[in-house]
Amino acid sequence: MTLFERLAEAIEREERAVLLTVVEGEPLGAHVLVLESGERLGDGVPEAVVGSAAELIRSHRNRIVEADGVRVFAEVFAPPPRLLVYGAVDTAEALCAAARLLGWRTIVADARARFATRERLPSADELIVDWPAEAIAQVAPDHATAVVVLTHDEKFDIPALEGALATDAFYVGALGSRTTQQRRRERLLARGMPEEALDRISGPCGLDIGAGSQPETALSILAEIVATRAGRAGGPLGASTHRIHAEG
Amino acid sequence: MKEILHDVERWRSRGERVAVATVVATRRSAPRPVGAKLAVSESGELAGSVSGGCVESDVCEHAREVLATGTPKLLTYGIADEDAWEVGLPCGGEIDVFVEPLPE
Repeated sequence: MTLFERLAEAIEREERAVLLTVVEGEPLGAHVLVLESGERLGDGVPEAVVGSAAELIRSHRNRIVEADGVRVFAEVFAPPPRLLVYGAVDTAEALCAAARLLGWRTIVADARARFATRERLPSADELIVDWPAEAIAQVAPDHATAVVVLTHDEKFDIPALEGALATDAFYVGALGSRTTQQRRRERLLARGMPEEALDRISGPCGLDIGAGSQPETALSILAEIVATRAGRAGGPLGASTHRIHAEG
Repeated sequence: MKEILHDVERWRSRGERVAVATVVATRRSAPRPVGAKLAVSESGELAGSVSGGCVESDVCEHAREVLATGTPKLLTYGIADEDAWEVGLPCGGEIDVFVEPLPE
């Protein structure tokens, strides 16, 4: 199988990979393809760059890398990010509908089978009826997964947050008033969760856009998730000194 | 890459060679993100884009040359100079585009 055929296959199978191309210097146009599994095809790219492939894949950012006097373009291939919502409430459907607009994969989990139904959640790509720990183990959130906890019920919210914080999820959010957040924080601390792990929770989740309806709430939460993934705070572009678009 | 694969495979099944142009760097504003691609078939068909249409025709000229010589090249496009009729970007940005023959 040629490098290009393997790349087409990786895209088709949604495997994570990085294609390294020498764009300045010699050998000009040389390619190396590295898959997340470590599989490697091609040659001619400095070892210093090939060695950083895992890190490049994880950054999900296309960019130029320089080494040994040559410039190498690193192009990252990855499936779309995933959104796991624990709590099959109305906001979960609005959140899934909005996330699908972005091309993301959506998963909704709830232990209550009456809530987690196809009729109530037509926009979820996947439905899981299970308790938080089991549902999170099944989904196995990674660095490209956002988790939002929406049940409004501590017997689900607490273990769901505990489970999510034990993963690499790039975003962990929870709905609820400031009073709820404070009480939840105390409960999690009492169960032995370290303070710095709790700081990862965005709660009440979402950006301050004055959301009222369910779709507006979904927009607010999703906007915060996108900003977190891009490493941005989420203010008005007019007041920003950053580049307008995310890098890569 | 995904958005051009279908067309690329169609052209190749007809026996045509294909050149691919990729935005590898942007400075200031740019219409398309780093990684955006334009594929050009030997007979001049296009798929994808590397700008808002501002530089595509010039990239196509280079793509033909790249297919003829087999040697890739790195192009830089900056602000359009209207008096000189140069090809460029009206948004004030600058992009680097790498053009290469697609390997078999």
